[in-house]
Amino acid sequence: MDTLFAFLSSIRWQDVVDITLNSYILFRLFVIFRETNAFRVLIGIALLWFFQRISVSLELIVTSWVIQGITAVAALIIVVVFRNEIRSVLQAKNLRAILWGFSFKPADTPLEIITDSVFELARRQTGALIVFPAKDDLGHVVQNGISWQGLVSKEMILSIFWHDNPVHDGAVIIKGNQITEVGVILPLSHRKDLPSYYGTRHRAAVGLAEATDALVVLVSEERKYVLVVKGSQVKLIPQKDDLAKILQEHLGLATAQKKDIKKEKLKIGIVALASVFFVIGVWFSFSKGLESQMAVEIPIEYTSLDPGMEILDTTTGAVRLQLAGSATLIKSIRPEQVKARINLDTAIEGLNTFMISDKNINLPPGIVLKSVKPSVVEVELYVPIIKKIPVQVDWVGKLPEHLVLEKVRLDPNKIQVMGSKKVLENISTIYTQKISLDQIEKTGKITVNLSLDPAFVQIAPGSRDKVNVEYVIKKRVQK
Amino acid sequence: MKIKLTIFCFFWVSTSFLLLGRAFPQQNANTTSTPVATPISKKLKLTQVVMCEKIKELNPENEAVAFSISIEKVICFTFFDPVPEKMFIYHNWYHRDNLSTKIKLLLQPPRWSTFSTVQLRETDKGPWRVEIIDQQGNILHISRFSITD
Repeated sequence: MDTLFAFLSSIRWQDVVDITLNSYILFRLFVIFRETNAFRVLIGIALLWFFQRISVSLELIVTSWVIQGITAVAALIIVVVFRNEIRSVLQAKNLRAILWGFSFKPADTPLEIITDSVFELARRQTGALIVFPAKDDLGHVVQNGISWQGLVSKEMILSIFWHDNPVHDGAVIIKGNQITEVGVILPLSHRKDLPSYYGTRHRAAVGLAEATDALVVLVSEERKYVLVVKGSQVKLIPQKDDLAKILQEHLGLATAQKKDIKKEKLKIGIVALASVFFVIGVWFSFSKGLESQMAVEIPIEYTSLDPGMEILDTTTGAVRLQLAGSATLIKSIRPEQVKARINLDTAIEGLNTFMISDKNINLPPGIVLKSVKPSVVEVELYVPIIKKIPVQVDWVGKLPEHLVLEKVRLDPNKIQVMGSKKVLENISTIYTQKISLDQIEKTGKITVNLSLDPAFVQIAPGSRDKVNVEYVIKKRVQK
Repeated sequence: MKIKLTIFCFFWVSTSFLLLGRAFPQQNANTTSTPVATPISKKLKLTQVVMCEKIKELNPENEAVAFSISIEKVICFTFFDPVPEKMFIYHNWYHRDNLSTKIKLLLQPPRWSTFSTVQLRETDKGPWRVEIIDQQGNILHISRFSITD
């Protein structure tokens, strides 16, 4: 019991948010993609991953290696192969539908309008092909469909199949109460047993029905009849009621009762629960798994330093942290996620002592700081002062034997530098960068930079960082 | 640091002055000299400071601001005129801001030339300076030079 309380008390509010958020994301992915083939493949990949973990735990080396490879490739393939399906699902739904909406049953197909339209087309001797998909995805079977997304109406259907309409020769696809595509080219059947008077329209209807579980309604232009094709069966429809009955049966409208909606709601509820349990499992394995420890050494960052002061020295530039957490989280730590910061907003000129605790250390969620070394850092701050210091040339190399570098004049011969009082007290000369005598043979002039260690001394604002060196060369007085 | 120091005092100038009863012409008067600031002490005046390779006939020879280590020694020659009384001055030699040696030199009235020398080693390459300091610790002058290859 105590263990349970201890466990519950260790759960942070961030963990609750984490689990809730990810459970909902998983659940929404199911709601949005549940009717697609991509989702089925995704379930397959998840199962593969599950088996791979089992094979790893059973130490089946080759099996786990092969499944891991297949899973990785499959994840890539799902994005490439089902990109159109994923896109169409996301495009068809608005933001509210993606984040919140539920659709327990599709919008009812207006059977009366469709049957009226079909028999009106037959009466007018206007040929037509109307496809009612079932569970199979038609995307890979049909071609050249033009997206329509219009509500079904008698006038709409009649006008689509009107002789002068550019898309009248193709089929239309009706899903729910919408005509989703028009001008669709269906695959032709190669059956030999079809009547000889069957033209292209008939063979297209039979071809699609053979390849998928869709139902195709055909209106013959010449013979003025209505046919329904499903699977390998072609059925003549003499009356509107017969067509309505067949469509009702195909679309499942006859059985779409309250019981089914209840069943659907139950299914959604189970999925929601499964999502929560799954995410809890993942969270548990990440944050409460086998505890590991690791040591990292990171540089100390100093923040909020008074702009008028600068850091002269610190007792250490880095701290060594002993971190603990689940093995998975410890392994996933990247150096940039761990930071040690010391706030200098209350620091004064001179020596400041800071204790380093967990308040100074930024860690990724789920990682705990066990210890820090050193736990005390001393930071020496100074207010920069300005001092005028003479400049001296740093000559190197060698003049020819017969010459002497007799005089040198610098402009300026003193420069203003900025640094800590402590440092500047010990500096009485600023040297130039080295000037080589090797190439000098006569009196001349040169401009050189100053040699400063910017960590300690800087050129004061307004002061020159270069000096002009005029030198006089004379012949040596021989011995 | 092994620096062999040689200190020479020139008595000849002052003894001549005493014997002849008149100012002896300064032997270094026509030597190229570094312009020198007025000394802080009231009467003592540093008239000439020269960094050179050698002294010949009481005159500094081959004045320079860069000396090859091959010449083995560098001389700081100073001439004071007048010297009001017997006193000491110091030649402080610094290699890159570090005091290398401090040489005490005697001055005799009424005028006096004196110099100090530093023997050079391979590690002595780099920028140097010599501070001429009076008895009271006032810096009379700073000469800067370099020891090179």
